[in-house]
Amino acid sequence: MPRPETRMVTLSIDGREVTAPENVMLVDGAKYGDVEIPVFCYEPKLGAPVGACRMCLVEIEGIPKLQTACSTPVKDGMVVHTQTARVHAAQEAIVEFLLINHPLDCPVCDKGGECPLQDISFGWGGGRSRFIEPKRHFQKPLALSPLIAIDRERCILCYRCVRFSQEIAEDYQLVLQERAAHTFVATFDGHPYVAPFSGNIIELCPVGALTSQPYRFRARPWDIEGSGSVCTLCPAQCNVNFTVRDERVLRVLARDHAEVDDGWLCDKGRFAYQAVHVDERITRPMIRDGGELRPVSWERALEHAASALGRAQARVGAIAGGETTNEEGFLLQRLVREVLLSNDVDSRAGGSLSLDLHRALGAPAAQATVSDLEFADAVLVLDCEPVDDAPILDLRIRKGVRRRRVELAVATSRPSSLDPNARLRVRFAPGCAEAFLLALEAAIGTAAGEPRREEVARLAQAAGADAGAVHALADLLTTSGDDVVVLWGERVTGGERGEYAGRALLNVAGRLGLRDRDGAGLLCVPAGTNGRGLAEAGVLPNAGPGLSEVEEAGRDAAGIAAAVAAGDLVALYLLHTDPLRDLPNRGAWEAALDRASLVVAHAAFLTEGIRAHADVVFPAESYAEKEGTVTHPDGRLQRLRPAIGHQGETRAEWQVLAELARRLGRDLGVHTGPMATDQLVAAVPFYAGITLDELGGKGLRWPAREAASAFPAPATAGPFELEPPAPAPAPNGRLRLGTFRSIWAAPEVEVSPALKFLHPRQRAELSPADAQRLKLFPGDRVTVGSDGHSVSAIVALRDGAPEGTVFLETAIPEDSASLLEGPLVEVRKA
Amino acid sequence: MPWNPGDDVISVQRGPRPGGAGGAYRAFGETLRGLKTTFARVLEGPITIQYPEEKVPVYPRFRGRHRLHRFEDTGLEKCVGCSLCAAACPADCIRVVAAENTPELRVSAGERYAAVYEINLSRCIFCGYCEVACPFDAITMGNDYEMSDYNRSDLIFTKEMLLAEPFDRAPLRAEGE
Ligand code: SF4
Ligand code: SF4
Ligand code: SF4
Ligand code: SF4
Ligand code: FES
Repeated sequence: MPRPETRMVTLSIDGREVTAPENVMLVDGAKYGDVEIPVFCYEPKLGAPVGACRMCLVEIEGIPKLQTACSTPVKDGMVVHTQTARVHAAQEAIVEFLLINHPLDCPVCDKGGECPLQDISFGWGGGRSRFIEPKRHFQKPLALSPLIAIDRERCILCYRCVRFSQEIAEDYQLVLQERAAHTFVATFDGHPYVAPFSGNIIELCPVGALTSQPYRFRARPWDIEGSGSVCTLCPAQCNVNFTVRDERVLRVLARDHAEVDDGWLCDKGRFAYQAVHVDERITRPMIRDGGELRPVSWERALEHAASALGRAQARVGAIAGGETTNEEGFLLQRLVREVLLSNDVDSRAGGSLSLDLHRALGAPAAQATVSDLEFADAVLVLDCEPVDDAPILDLRIRKGVRRRRVELAVATSRPSSLDPNARLRVRFAPGCAEAFLLALEAAIGTAAGEPRREEVARLAQAAGADAGAVHALADLLTTSGDDVVVLWGERVTGGERGEYAGRALLNVAGRLGLRDRDGAGLLCVPAGTNGRGLAEAGVLPNAGPGLSEVEEAGRDAAGIAAAVAAGDLVALYLLHTDPLRDLPNRGAWEAALDRASLVVAHAAFLTEGIRAHADVVFPAESYAEKEGTVTHPDGRLQRLRPAIGHQGETRAEWQVLAELARRLGRDLGVHTGPMATDQLVAAVPFYAGITLDELGGKGLRWPAREAASAFPAPATAGPFELEPPAPAPAPNGRLRLGTFRSIWAAPEVEVSPALKFLHPRQRAELSPADAQRLKLFPGDRVTVGSDGHSVSAIVALRDGAPEGTVFLETAIPEDSASLLEGPLVEVRKA
Repeated sequence: MPWNPGDDVISVQRGPRPGGAGGAYRAFGETLRGLKTTFARVLEGPITIQYPEEKVPVYPRFRGRHRLHRFEDTGLEKCVGCSLCAAACPADCIRVVAAENTPELRVSAGERYAAVYEINLSRCIFCGYCEVACPFDAITMGNDYEMSDYNRSDLIFTKEMLLAEPFDRAPLRAEGE
């Protein structure tokens, strides 16, 4: 679906000639002529206007009554007046009317100073109250949820919060109850409003009716400074604005970017800033001394790490976690490759892919952008759960489906929260994306008239999917239009057969003609925030910066674990990652960490692996302190800017890496953050010429720049000849194991006082049929086990979960699914 | 050779040099005229105020050191920590950090109270804007003007200091005085 073209129309507002895009509402059109029309309920992000508050009344010539400018589109030749006596009288009347029941407790109200009601009363109100009768009263303040306080007296019933819940997040929780003056905002069932995106209503509310609990009474607008940066808690990399007072981050607000976040934030991004200032945070370097980690001076920590790394010679393996910036990743691979002379550096959890596949999947021509999700003809969500993996994309997909009639198909193993919006849902067995993609490719062939029905049936069975559904999906993708976006999770290319699954994905993309088509393409949701940037910066065992060839490929993450356990490697360098939490196969990592004679970690929190195994811990900067760049999954380089100074003794991490290199006898030539950026840009041909100034506040998509032509072309981008994979294991009374990482599974959530209550504990998601067979009920405690390992979990039923499968969480401190080996597990009542 | 000023010379007409009677008057006459006032006041006696034993009374609207107030009946603080005074202050010398009242700890009458309330008196220009801005008459300009100290940081007055009665109250000028 091509983006709608904008035609300009000319109209007259207050005697000025104004040229505005056709079909925008008068309120927005007036801005093109610098005319301000006051609004309360209108918010373009919320979609169609509702005209609830009547604040925006204007006079339009030819229409006898005053009109709401928020719901009247501009027309050619329209003559509008906003300053006539009638309009003024109406505006004054509306303000007076809104203030009738308003408590006007501005001095104690958290919105005071940034309150549209204050501003509009001051600017457009009559300045006098004639109301002497008693006002309406509600009990206040109340907690709408542990994160949001509600003051019903202040509510002006603009519907914004309700519309958000009903039409944007589609959690359908908020409603207006009762009638007339007694109307109030509440959840339908009276439960707290807990949802992944609930915090957005705080920013939407035009009065102080909905306020943030953690920010409650912390500061006034004149006490604070705003500081724009990027949230690095998930791959969606939303643009944020930190509210800083006295060198502390007190709040996170959205910084609208239509190409990234569309102006929304998830609650993790909005409230996990608290982790910057908690006592649990590591703010001093530490060394293991007598079995305990003890704080030491930087000098000692650096000296200890440098001399021990020097002794390890080339037998060092390094792993970078998702929150690592491009610069840190780049310096890490320089440190490992040039100074420690090792090749073992990785940033991917799921195992390495061939360099060719990286190049083919990352090729600029094959990339879709975030906004393509909204304007595509069809979107296929492949083996990822946007709300957990990159929450803000979930809202974008919903928007496309709701407002632009995008045909949505969900092909995953785990049921998705997008299922109800999808035209089509296909389930396949966990880890069988390869067979599924081959089946899909064959089905697309069948749709094009090739005689491959049997092949589809065979492959679908191998994938544990329904052949009919695969055919339906192929039909949907081929008939709904040319612009198809495939949003695929990195777990597609994880595991032993990841390479082949990646090739199968390229075959499907080739069949659908996604390459070289604007508005169509692939969009990967990496496992780590900066997965894409780290790969491009060269933090891969088989690729240098810019996905260049390396002389000798090193070991991937799993290979490093095995090599350390076997004694081939003796030291581990962990940059922002705790393998026990972030990487699969916890058993192997426990063995490796036990055996390693040196573990150097950059960490912000003492998670289990760091606490038990690290020998040297450098304090990691929080994202509010970092300087550098990250790369969005769609190729947008975004800039992180420090909002606050370094907490405690924390130091910039590029500095730590450069200092270590210096102590090991090699000057990396990096003395400031921007110097690291310059080196990175110089080393990655397709970033050529990018400067921090050019990135600015909005970032820059490198695939859209000219230098993108320097992207190394893959030897072949398909189609590939592929062997059918081994079929999904038959459950035979046991269950297939699928894993997922919840949006709340992050150490930042675990330590944030406000978000703690959301930090997940292990739960086993089962289909109702399996639960019935195993005689389990929701809330039952079970043990899930395989090959001698077991974890304990609480049963949760999910409609739409495929039969014969159980889903468990990873990345949690206890009972993480990474303890189990799978692919089959037994579920027993505990 | 001396420098020839040429046409640049401007000659000035001076009055006659003082001397004689004119000179004598100049030397003593004006002085005596001044002394007349002095000697006339000798009869009134000394009016020196023996500060600090004695203090100058101030006018009712004198803007001295600030006071924070409590409600007389409940003893709760009037200040709700709204920070409006801080916003109004042209010298930017007020710092308010608010917190929420709880049933166990009720400090002020509203939902919030000032957990930290500091005025840096070394920066205050005693304009009184804070008093005007306060919606609850919680802060007023008091009468006290004795604020010298040995240490600049001692001039940051905390909430407790502002709420407390001053040790020595400056006298108020009586009506018509
Ligand atoms: S919502 Fe606005 S107008 Fe109402 S009390 Fe709060 S600050 Fe004042
Ligand atoms: S709570 Fe706020 S956003 Fe919701 S209806 Fe009331 S005023 Fe509007
Ligand atoms: S008197 Fe003026 S300068 Fe002093 S604290 Fe008040 S507003 Fe600030
Ligand atoms: S003194 Fe008055 S203006 Fe200042 S914070 Fe307290 S209530 Fe608000
Ligand atoms: S803004 Fe137009 S009716 Fe509310």
